Amino acid sequence: MAKGLTRRGAMRAGAGVLAAGAVGAPMVHAQGSAGSLRFAFWDHWVPGANGALQQLAQRWGERNRVNMTLDFINTTGNQLQLTIAAQAQSRSGHDGISLLPWDPGTYANQLEPVDDVMGRLSQKYGQVNPIAEFLAKRGGAWRGVPATSGTQTKPALARFDLLQQHAGLDIRAMWPARNERGPGSDQWTWDTFLRAAEACHRAGVPFGLPMGQFTDAVDWVGALFASYGARLTDERGNPTVRNNQELRQVLDYAVRLSRFLPNDVWAWDDASNNRALISGRSALIFNPPSAWAVAKRDAPQVAENCWTIPMPSGPRGRFLAYLPYVTGIWAFGRNKNAAKAFLEFITERENAEFTSTFSQGYDIPPFLSMADFRVWETEGPPVGTIFNYPLKPHHQASYSIAFSPAPPDLAQQMYIQALNTKLIARIAQGNESVDAALGWVEREINNMRRG
Amino acid sequence: MSTTTAAAAHPRGIFHKAGSLRAERRWALVTAYISLVIAAIIMLAPPVYMFLTSIKTSAEIADLSGNPWWVRDPTLENYTALIFNPMFRGFFWNSVKVTLLVVALTMAISILAAFALGRMRFWGSQWLATGVFLTYLVPDTLLFIPLYQIVGGLGLLDSTWGLVLVYPTLTVPFCTWIMIGYFASIPKELDEAALIDGANWMQMLTRIFIPVALPGIIAATIFAFTVSWAAFVYPTAFITSPAEMPMTIGVVSQLIRGDTFAWGQLMAGALLAALPPVIVYAFLMDYYIAGLTAGATKG
Amino acid sequence: MADGSTLAMPAASAPAGSLQRFARRRSTIAFLMTLPLILVIFGLVAWPAGYAMYLATLNRRMTEFIGLGNFEILLDSETFRMVIFQSVFFAVTAVILKALIGFWLAHMLHHIPTKGQRKWRGMLLVPWVIPPALSTLGWWWMYEPSYSSLNWLLAIFAVPPVPWLGEPWWARISVIIVNVWYGAPFFMIMYLAALKSVPEQLYEAAAIDGATSWQRLRYVTLPMMRNIISITVLFSLIVTFANYDIVRVLTNGGPRDLTHVFASYAFQVGILAGNIPRGAAVSLFMFPILAVIAFFVLRGINKRNREEA
Repeated sequence: MAKGLTRRGAMRAGAGVLAAGAVGAPMVHAQGSAGSLRFAFWDHWVPGANGALQQLAQRWGERNRVNMTLDFINTTGNQLQLTIAAQAQSRSGHDGISLLPWDPGTYANQLEPVDDVMGRLSQKYGQVNPIAEFLAKRGGAWRGVPATSGTQTKPALARFDLLQQHAGLDIRAMWPARNERGPGSDQWTWDTFLRAAEACHRAGVPFGLPMGQFTDAVDWVGALFASYGARLTDERGNPTVRNNQELRQVLDYAVRLSRFLPNDVWAWDDASNNRALISGRSALIFNPPSAWAVAKRDAPQVAENCWTIPMPSGPRGRFLAYLPYVTGIWAFGRNKNAAKAFLEFITERENAEFTSTFSQGYDIPPFLSMADFRVWETEGPPVGTIFNYPLKPHHQASYSIAFSPAPPDLAQQMYIQALNTKLIARIAQGNESVDAALGWVEREINNMRRG
Repeated sequence: MSTTTAAAAHPRGIFHKAGSLRAERRWALVTAYISLVIAAIIMLAPPVYMFLTSIKTSAEIADLSGNPWWVRDPTLENYTALIFNPMFRGFFWNSVKVTLLVVALTMAISILAAFALGRMRFWGSQWLATGVFLTYLVPDTLLFIPLYQIVGGLGLLDSTWGLVLVYPTLTVPFCTWIMIGYFASIPKELDEAALIDGANWMQMLTRIFIPVALPGIIAATIFAFTVSWAAFVYPTAFITSPAEMPMTIGVVSQLIRGDTFAWGQLMAGALLAALPPVIVYAFLMDYYIAGLTAGATKG
Repeated sequence: MADGSTLAMPAASAPAGSLQRFARRRSTIAFLMTLPLILVIFGLVAWPAGYAMYLATLNRRMTEFIGLGNFEILLDSETFRMVIFQSVFFAVTAVILKALIGFWLAHMLHHIPTKGQRKWRGMLLVPWVIPPALSTLGWWWMYEPSYSSLNWLLAIFAVPPVPWLGEPWWARISVIIVNVWYGAPFFMIMYLAALKSVPEQLYEAAAIDGATSWQRLRYVTLPMMRNIISITVLFSLIVTFANYDIVRVLTNGGPRDLTHVFASYAFQVGILAGNIPRGAAVSLFMFPILAVIAFFVLRGINKRNREEA
């Protein structure tokens, strides 16, 4: 650190936090105030869930004599994205901010590396979610701490009564609220899924699977592609569209599936599938438990019949769509060490569990060892409905993010432009031939790589 | 007004045609009323439906079995929840504060400028008068990134003062332009007389032009009010903490929760946010129209 | 205009020195009075716009100058060519509809007795008064597939449910409907103002000459309203081309990018996908075209004003 600073000055600048943090719990026994921190977090969709971070910030701030200010910024209307872009441009704003999945890459050179924090946390809690690592680590350094609050997976949130009645599937038996697989779980494949979709479609309760350009759509289709081994590009970003049998296979499947979906899924947003479920018109959606939580309030008879189960598996295995938030610290911030210590504090197991519990189980912690919080067992009714929401070993599944393994710069553009759902839409809704659609996607990818 | 006198004058003036003319008039009147009724239904349907939604409970909104255009179990809880929420009242005061300041600032800037451009002329004034209008060619979705740096440089980010600074870019050009038209429509004899009387330019503006141009000024004021009350892109970009948010962005960002919408509260908030402009228009619409009549037609 | 010379007249009899001083003072004062406007326009519009233009010439990482490269890449992309088509289609259709509906309603309002006009005018102006970001939410709620109250109404007449936002053409129409709904009252009020300023004697003269109502419209009303029509259309065209909220709230550009307009696409490319220079290039795309249109429209108006003066 800078020479010539008095010890107290250094403390105030937050330098002491790092030293203390290295020993364990970050404690700063400075006198007076150790400065102030201002964080912007994602404004949580689950009512009241922001309170967890508020309480943690207050507790940590009092202990370390740091004035904490938290702002919660919504992603509706892209407010968070706007704020991030504008702060990066103007090099001013919060000390730390919630970043969307691809942002750590986009803003890598303006984000403070947090390798020290991640190193200590990994030592304690083991492996980080590989997708979170893929997204948050750039240029060999961690550009942010994968967050608990807001991080979600998108397994199937299904009506067990309707699936039993119309498709003859007892999903509660297949995926009980225990760490074991039930009878029939081996048959939980995309083919079974297609048959169930057809049956439910005929019964007037079609699956509510969005095919638009919002994250819910891109994420589940990304997992579908992964389970067929279908990739749009290789690791270097070269399009692998031509003569790609896996890609053609998954497109064929998706087009067939889309015939059994409501006819306007092409324009659905992240809330449309929730509404479809809550209104009782849909037997299955891919979503975090927020839809169920709202149903519990507005349509309890729907909520009581909901059960979360893993995504179906394909020829290349089972994948679970995963959407992590990452909290980054701006390099232009003034109190970076204190910010690091705060992020380390909220990621510790008990605090992650506190956060997740506050969100009624919505939040998925970044460390694989934390997939066993009590909240997922106790939430209800029906009790155990979200037991299988986080990825558990017996699911035999992997986390996925759409468009991997493309390089992040490119993957981000493909993700935002929703190339995977658009590809399907061109064929299924726009009646293009598969070849024409594949030609289009190849040209789009090549165009994105330019400039 | 002129329409009624004209209606009375017509049949007398051309008596021999009176029968067919009266039939034509009656037919025109019927067409007019039918068109207006249809238009009113279409124009008012969304706000009415928003109102109906706002007095429903969440459970009733989620329930699909009934007529969505009917309320079985009306409740005011969406409104009371908002009105008794200090955060929501904060949005309201922020909007009021920003809008009043922006309107005052806008009118000061545009009256002075329009008077100078419309009546005084100086080198480049013609260009400037045209250029004023062209500023609308630059969309706010393009400007907000560079503006963010300016506002940030002044330390006004996440503050209603930042909005007071940038909103005039939305209001000043149109207001100036309307006022130029209005000032241009005032007879030249007026200022000649004033100059001969030895009045200086400022006196001329305050004693003669402002009183004469009052309808135009009110029209421009209403425009500025509407625009700054409804501004969306800039507060989205510059304001992040609820304490500083104006109404529009506050309602949208605090009542929409991503994948779960509180539709009843959202609609109640939207209607409450729309109330002040509605009231302003209800009382000042006549001035607005009179102002536009004289000002804008001269362009 | 002639007011420069008329203003100089009273001073002409004064000594030459004070005349000069007067002239200098006049333009100095005028300039000072315009200064706040100049500051606003240059500081908060022209300078940032210039900076945005500079941004549009950089590469993705903003490390290298690539000239018009971004425009070249954009024009190569099918998606962007589609965005051009949609923006033009959206803006032109919406403005024409707004102008026609506004004109029709203004005419109808003008026809009914003055006593009732106030009430009707007030009702019809409501869409323009509600902040569009909020009223669009109301529309969205009416279009929403599961809960659509519009489809419920259609069902009464045995019309099958319309996928308002799901089918590309329906989605385009839905977006235009909202924009027309919001903007038509503004046209109506501007035209009504213009209609009221047409001297009644002209109509009386036309009626005595035996003009039909169509001829009255064609030869009296429209020529008298030319300025206001062109300026309103120009203003609306510019604002409609820059529209962002409606597309963003209703469709976010979907399905398949078939409802994107410049602003929403610029936003997606520039902010969300992190390519600010290319986003700036998208935003700037219409600027030259609109500037040319605006130049000619405004020149026409000035010319007509001068002829009338």
